[in-house]
Amino acid sequence: MRPVRLQIPAEAGFIDVVRICLTGVAAKRGFAYEDIEDMKVAVSEACSNAVLHGGREAGGEAIDITFEQTDEGLTVRIVNYGLSFDHAAALQEASPIKGESKGDLRVGGLGIYLMEALMDEVRMSSEEGKTEVVLTKYLGV
Amino acid sequence: MMKKMEPFRIEQQEIGNSYELKLIGELDLSVVPQVQGALEHVLRREDLALVLDLGGLTYIDSTGIGIIVSILKTRDSLNAPFFVRNIPPAIKRLFDMTGLTGHLKEGTEAEA
Repeated sequence: MRPVRLQIPAEAGFIDVVRICLTGVAAKRGFAYEDIEDMKVAVSEACSNAVLHGGREAGGEAIDITFEQTDEGLTVRIVNYGLSFDHAAALQEASPIKGESKGDLRVGGLGIYLMEALMDEVRMSSEEGKTEVVLTKYLGV
Repeated sequence: MMKKMEPFRIEQQEIGNSYELKLIGELDLSVVPQVQGALEHVLRREDLALVLDLGGLTYIDSTGIGIIVSILKTRDSLNAPFFVRNIPPAIKRLFDMTGLTGHLKEGTEAEA
């Protein structure tokens, strides 16, 4: 199956367009409603990071999203341009909300934690000027 | 199949000694300034119970969860009441997953 490609400006106001496109592609691939909702959150998290780290201020203009339907399910690639990003450190910091009392709650690493919790595979790579996040969800897992 | 997409909006009302913010639509990175703007004048009001009604929320991610955590922390530091109400099941699941649920007080009309 040939991939579906989408390019959005690297701005928060276009992340909803990615969710709409994802909903269409995932429904076409046969995913259940709950799985699509999970993927929407995970893909949005990746796009939020792409906007925050690869937006105008970081020298990025656009975010490229590729939806690849595979035999096993769906793989979504989110690529942003601009400053490189320490993905190894980010993956290590992935965590649910930390802190014992309300006063010292911390949310660092929550986005990547959610990607990992909601998808079957999360891969990240970063080279000079380009960061890629690859999210995969299997059908019927 | 897809529901008509409503732009995110916030309805606000002061009832007695509580101030309610009703969030409607999709809460993602793009509406953070809107939520922070709405909170600005009530976040530190110790004389009111702050109530967040999530009944109309169709989507939330870590950005929205981050906002709720920052409200929790501010209200806690002021020792001021903060309640969350009408959490839709899909959103409740994310709150459970991220560990937010244990820190929230779910409010009813009577309590708030």
